[in-house]
Amino acid sequence: MGSLNMRETIITREQVANPRTHYGDAKASTRHFITQRVTGLINVVFLGFLLFIVVRLAGQDRADMVGVIGNGFIGIPFAVLIGIVAVHMRNGMRDTLEDYLHGRMYSLAMMLNTLFCLIVGLAAIGAIVKIVFWG
Amino acid sequence: MSVRARPTSPHLQIYRWTITMAMSILHRMTGIANYAGMALLAIWLIAAAMGQEPLMALNFIYGSWFGQIVLFGFSWSLVHHMCGGLRHWVWDFAAMMEPGQREAMAWATIAASVVITLLIWTVFVWAA
Repeated sequence: MGSLNMRETIITREQVANPRTHYGDAKASTRHFITQRVTGLINVVFLGFLLFIVVRLAGQDRADMVGVIGNGFIGIPFAVLIGIVAVHMRNGMRDTLEDYLHGRMYSLAMMLNTLFCLIVGLAAIGAIVKIVFWG
Repeated sequence: MSVRARPTSPHLQIYRWTITMAMSILHRMTGIANYAGMALLAIWLIAAAMGQEPLMALNFIYGSWFGQIVLFGFSWSLVHHMCGGLRHWVWDFAAMMEPGQREAMAWATIAASVVITLLIWTVFVWAA
Protein backbone atom coordinates (compact mmCIF):
# COMPACT_ATOMS: atom_id res chain seq x y z
CA MET A 1 0.00 0.00 0.00
CA GLY A 2 2.97 2.32 0.57
CA SER A 3 4.16 3.11 -2.94
CA LEU A 4 3.02 6.35 -4.51
CA ASN A 5 1.54 4.89 -7.69
CA MET A 6 -0.82 2.76 -5.59
CA ARG A 7 -2.37 5.93 -4.23
CA GLU A 8 -5.55 7.14 -5.79
CA THR A 9 -5.63 10.55 -7.46
CA ILE A 10 -4.79 13.47 -5.21
CA ILE A 11 -7.90 15.36 -4.24
CA THR A 12 -7.60 19.11 -4.38
CA ARG A 13 -9.48 21.65 -2.31
CA GLU A 14 -11.16 22.94 -5.48
CA GLN A 15 -12.43 19.46 -6.33
CA VAL A 16 -14.00 19.03 -2.88
CA ALA A 17 -15.50 22.53 -2.91
CA ASN A 18 -16.95 22.33 -6.42
CA PRO A 19 -20.43 20.76 -6.38
CA ARG A 20 -20.06 19.81 -10.05
CA THR A 21 -17.45 17.16 -9.18
CA HIS A 22 -20.01 15.36 -6.98
CA TYR A 23 -17.23 14.52 -4.57
CA GLY A 24 -18.52 11.89 -2.16
CA ASP A 25 -22.03 10.50 -2.08
CA ALA A 26 -24.41 13.21 -0.88
CA LYS A 27 -27.36 10.94 -0.14
CA ALA A 28 -25.49 8.05 1.46
CA SER A 29 -23.27 10.39 3.46
CA THR A 30 -26.20 12.38 4.79
CA ARG A 31 -27.97 9.17 5.74
CA HIS A 32 -24.79 7.96 7.42
CA PHE A 33 -24.53 11.22 9.40
CA ILE A 34 -28.16 11.17 10.54
CA THR A 35 -28.13 7.44 11.33
CA GLN A 36 -25.06 7.90 13.52
CA ARG A 37 -26.63 10.82 15.42
CA VAL A 38 -29.99 9.13 15.96
CA THR A 39 -28.55 5.74 16.97
CA GLY A 40 -26.00 7.50 19.17
CA LEU A 41 -28.72 9.34 21.05
CA ILE A 42 -30.70 6.11 21.51
CA ASN A 43 -27.51 4.50 22.83
CA VAL A 44 -27.76 6.78 25.89
CA VAL A 45 -30.89 4.77 26.76
CA PHE A 46 -28.99 1.55 26.02
CA LEU A 47 -26.30 2.60 28.50
CA GLY A 48 -28.96 3.13 31.16
CA PHE A 49 -30.37 -0.34 30.50
CA LEU A 50 -26.89 -1.87 30.51
CA LEU A 51 -26.07 -0.23 33.84
CA PHE A 52 -29.32 -1.49 35.37
CA ILE A 53 -28.79 -5.04 34.08
CA VAL A 54 -25.11 -5.27 35.01
CA VAL A 55 -25.68 -3.82 38.50
CA ARG A 56 -28.54 -6.24 39.12
CA LEU A 57 -26.95 -9.32 37.57
CA ALA A 58 -23.14 -9.14 37.58
CA GLY A 59 -21.79 -12.40 39.02
CA GLN A 60 -25.30 -13.73 39.67
CA ASP A 61 -26.73 -17.18 39.02
CA ARG A 62 -28.56 -18.16 35.85
CA ALA A 63 -31.88 -18.15 37.74
CA ASP A 64 -31.37 -14.46 38.66
CA MET A 65 -30.51 -13.60 35.05
CA VAL A 66 -33.60 -15.39 33.75
CA GLY A 67 -35.64 -13.59 36.41
CA VAL A 68 -34.59 -10.12 35.20
CA ILE A 69 -33.79 -10.49 31.48
CA GLY A 70 -36.53 -13.14 31.09
CA ASN A 71 -39.05 -10.41 31.86
CA GLY A 72 -40.15 -9.43 28.34
CA PHE A 73 -40.52 -5.78 29.31
CA ILE A 74 -36.81 -5.71 30.09
CA GLY A 75 -35.43 -8.34 27.70
CA ILE A 76 -37.16 -7.25 24.49
CA PRO A 77 -36.29 -3.52 24.70
CA PHE A 78 -32.74 -4.50 25.64
CA ALA A 79 -32.51 -6.76 22.57
CA VAL A 80 -33.82 -3.97 20.31
CA LEU A 81 -31.33 -1.52 21.81
CA ILE A 82 -28.47 -3.96 21.16
CA GLY A 83 -29.56 -4.12 17.51
CA ILE A 84 -29.36 -0.32 17.34
CA VAL A 85 -25.91 -0.43 18.98
CA ALA A 86 -24.78 -2.87 16.25
CA VAL A 87 -25.86 -0.38 13.55
CA HIS A 88 -23.96 2.39 15.36
CA MET A 89 -20.88 0.15 15.64
CA ARG A 90 -20.86 -0.63 11.93
CA ASN A 91 -21.43 2.99 10.97
CA GLY A 92 -18.71 4.25 13.30
CA MET A 93 -16.16 1.67 12.23
CA ARG A 94 -16.92 2.63 8.62
CA ASP A 95 -15.71 6.18 9.37
CA THR A 96 -12.46 4.79 10.71
CA LEU A 97 -11.92 2.38 7.82
CA GLU A 98 -12.63 5.10 5.23
CA ASP A 99 -9.91 7.25 6.74
CA TYR A 100 -7.13 4.68 6.48
CA LEU A 101 -8.06 2.13 3.79
CA HIS A 102 -9.02 2.54 0.15
CA GLY A 103 -10.07 0.40 -2.78
CA ARG A 104 -10.22 -3.35 -2.30
CA MET A 105 -8.63 -3.29 1.16
CA TYR A 106 -11.44 -0.99 2.24
CA SER A 107 -14.09 -3.30 0.77
CA LEU A 108 -12.59 -6.31 2.51
CA ALA A 109 -12.33 -4.53 5.87
CA MET A 110 -15.87 -3.24 5.50
CA MET A 111 -17.12 -6.77 4.86
CA LEU A 112 -15.39 -8.02 8.02
CA ASN A 113 -16.87 -5.04 9.88
CA THR A 114 -20.39 -5.96 8.77
CA LEU A 115 -19.78 -9.58 9.68
CA PHE A 116 -18.54 -8.72 13.19
CA CYS A 117 -21.45 -6.39 13.93
CA LEU A 118 -23.94 -8.95 12.61
CA ILE A 119 -22.47 -11.78 14.68
CA VAL A 120 -22.21 -9.76 17.91
CA GLY A 121 -25.68 -8.27 17.46
CA LEU A 122 -27.43 -11.49 16.47
CA ALA A 123 -25.65 -13.55 19.14
CA ALA A 124 -26.65 -11.14 21.92
CA ILE A 125 -30.21 -10.75 20.62
CA GLY A 126 -30.53 -14.52 20.12
CA ALA A 127 -29.37 -15.18 23.68
CA ILE A 128 -31.89 -12.69 25.09
CA VAL A 129 -34.74 -14.07 22.98
CA LYS A 130 -33.86 -17.56 24.18
CA ILE A 131 -33.95 -16.42 27.82
CA VAL A 132 -37.23 -14.52 27.37
CA PHE A 133 -39.18 -17.24 25.56
CA TRP A 134 -37.55 -20.50 26.65
CA GLY A 135 -35.96 -19.52 29.98
CA MET B 1 -21.06 5.32 0.28
CA SER B 2 -17.97 6.86 -1.25
CA VAL B 3 -14.85 4.77 -1.04
CA ARG B 4 -12.57 7.39 -2.56
CA ALA B 5 -9.35 8.07 -0.72
CA ARG B 6 -9.77 10.66 2.00
CA PRO B 7 -7.30 13.54 2.01
CA THR B 8 -4.75 12.58 4.67
CA SER B 9 -3.28 15.00 7.18
CA PRO B 10 0.34 15.14 8.38
CA HIS B 11 1.34 12.76 11.13
CA LEU B 12 0.33 13.50 14.73
CA GLN B 13 3.89 14.34 15.76
CA ILE B 14 3.98 17.68 13.98
CA TYR B 15 1.03 19.10 15.91
CA ARG B 16 1.07 20.89 19.23
CA TRP B 17 -1.30 18.93 21.44
CA THR B 18 -4.59 20.58 22.25
CA ILE B 19 -7.37 19.27 24.48
CA THR B 20 -9.88 19.21 21.60
CA MET B 21 -7.45 17.11 19.55
CA ALA B 22 -6.87 14.74 22.47
CA MET B 23 -10.63 14.32 22.96
CA SER B 24 -11.14 13.71 19.23
CA ILE B 25 -8.55 10.93 19.31
CA LEU B 26 -10.01 9.52 22.55
CA HIS B 27 -13.48 9.52 20.98
CA ARG B 28 -12.25 7.31 18.17
CA MET B 29 -10.20 5.08 20.49
CA THR B 30 -13.09 4.58 22.92
CA GLY B 31 -15.39 3.90 19.96
CA ILE B 32 -13.09 1.10 18.81
CA ALA B 33 -12.80 -0.22 22.38
CA ASN B 34 -16.60 -0.24 22.73
CA TYR B 35 -16.82 -2.07 19.40
CA ALA B 36 -14.66 -4.87 20.79
CA GLY B 37 -16.19 -4.65 24.25
CA MET B 38 -19.69 -5.37 22.96
CA ALA B 39 -18.45 -8.91 22.31
CA LEU B 40 -17.94 -9.26 26.10
CA LEU B 41 -21.61 -8.40 26.66
CA ALA B 42 -22.69 -10.85 23.94
CA ILE B 43 -20.56 -13.64 25.47
CA TRP B 44 -22.07 -13.00 28.91
CA LEU B 45 -25.62 -13.20 27.54
CA ILE B 46 -24.82 -16.35 25.54
CA ALA B 47 -23.34 -18.02 28.63
CA ALA B 48 -26.50 -17.16 30.57
CA ALA B 49 -28.65 -18.59 27.77
CA MET B 50 -26.58 -21.79 27.64
CA GLY B 51 -26.74 -22.81 31.27
CA GLN B 52 -25.53 -22.45 34.84
CA GLU B 53 -22.13 -24.09 34.27
CA PRO B 54 -20.92 -21.87 31.41
CA LEU B 55 -22.28 -18.82 33.24
CA MET B 56 -20.36 -19.64 36.42
CA ALA B 57 -17.17 -20.25 34.41
CA LEU B 58 -17.58 -16.87 32.72
CA ASN B 59 -18.41 -15.12 36.00
CA PHE B 60 -15.13 -16.49 37.36
CA ILE B 61 -13.21 -14.91 34.46
CA TYR B 62 -15.11 -11.59 34.54
CA GLY B 63 -14.85 -11.50 38.33
CA SER B 64 -11.08 -12.05 38.40
CA TRP B 65 -8.80 -9.05 38.96
CA PHE B 66 -7.92 -9.01 35.27
CA GLY B 67 -11.56 -9.23 34.24
CA GLN B 68 -12.47 -6.42 36.63
CA ILE B 69 -9.76 -4.16 35.17
CA VAL B 70 -11.01 -4.84 31.65
CA LEU B 71 -14.63 -4.19 32.69
CA PHE B 72 -13.63 -0.99 34.50
CA GLY B 73 -11.86 0.20 31.35
CA PHE B 74 -14.84 -0.81 29.22
CA SER B 75 -17.26 1.09 31.47
CA TRP B 76 -15.11 4.23 31.32
CA SER B 77 -14.79 3.82 27.54
CA LEU B 78 -18.58 3.61 27.17
CA VAL B 79 -19.17 6.65 29.39
CA HIS B 80 -16.45 8.66 27.67
CA HIS B 81 -17.79 7.86 24.21
CA MET B 82 -21.27 8.88 25.38
CA CYS B 83 -19.99 12.21 26.74
CA GLY B 84 -18.03 12.77 23.51
CA GLY B 85 -21.10 11.92 21.47
CA LEU B 86 -23.25 14.39 23.40
CA ARG B 87 -20.56 17.05 22.82
CA HIS B 88 -20.73 16.36 19.09
CA TRP B 89 -24.48 16.60 19.35
CA VAL B 90 -24.19 20.11 20.81
CA TRP B 91 -21.76 21.03 18.03
CA ASP B 92 -24.25 19.78 15.42
CA PHE B 93 -26.39 22.77 16.38
CA ALA B 94 -23.37 25.01 15.68
CA ALA B 95 -23.25 25.90 19.37
CA MET B 96 -20.24 26.07 21.72
CA MET B 97 -17.78 26.27 18.84
CA GLU B 98 -16.05 29.54 19.71
CA PRO B 99 -12.48 29.55 21.08
CA GLY B 100 -12.63 28.87 24.79
CA GLN B 101 -16.06 27.26 24.58
CA ARG B 102 -14.88 24.23 22.66
CA GLU B 103 -11.92 23.77 24.97
CA ALA B 104 -14.24 24.04 27.98
CA MET B 105 -16.49 21.35 26.46
CA ALA B 106 -13.50 19.12 25.79
CA TRP B 107 -12.29 19.43 29.40
CA ALA B 108 -15.85 18.84 30.62
CA THR B 109 -15.95 15.62 28.55
CA ILE B 110 -12.93 14.03 30.20
CA ALA B 111 -13.88 15.33 33.66
CA ALA B 112 -17.44 14.04 33.35
CA SER B 113 -16.40 10.64 32.03
CA VAL B 114 -13.94 10.06 34.89
CA VAL B 115 -16.35 11.33 37.58
CA ILE B 116 -19.35 9.36 36.26
CA THR B 117 -17.33 6.13 35.92
CA LEU B 118 -15.86 6.44 39.43
CA LEU B 119 -19.32 7.25 40.78
CA ILE B 120 -20.83 4.15 39.16
CA TRP B 121 -18.11 1.86 40.53
CA THR B 122 -18.14 3.49 43.97
CA VAL B 123 -21.91 3.33 44.41
CA PHE B 124 -22.61 -0.02 42.75
CA VAL B 125 -19.43 -2.05 43.26
CA TRP B 126 -17.04 -0.81 45.94
CA ALA B 127 -19.62 0.47 48.45
CA ALA B 128 -22.29 -2.10 47.62
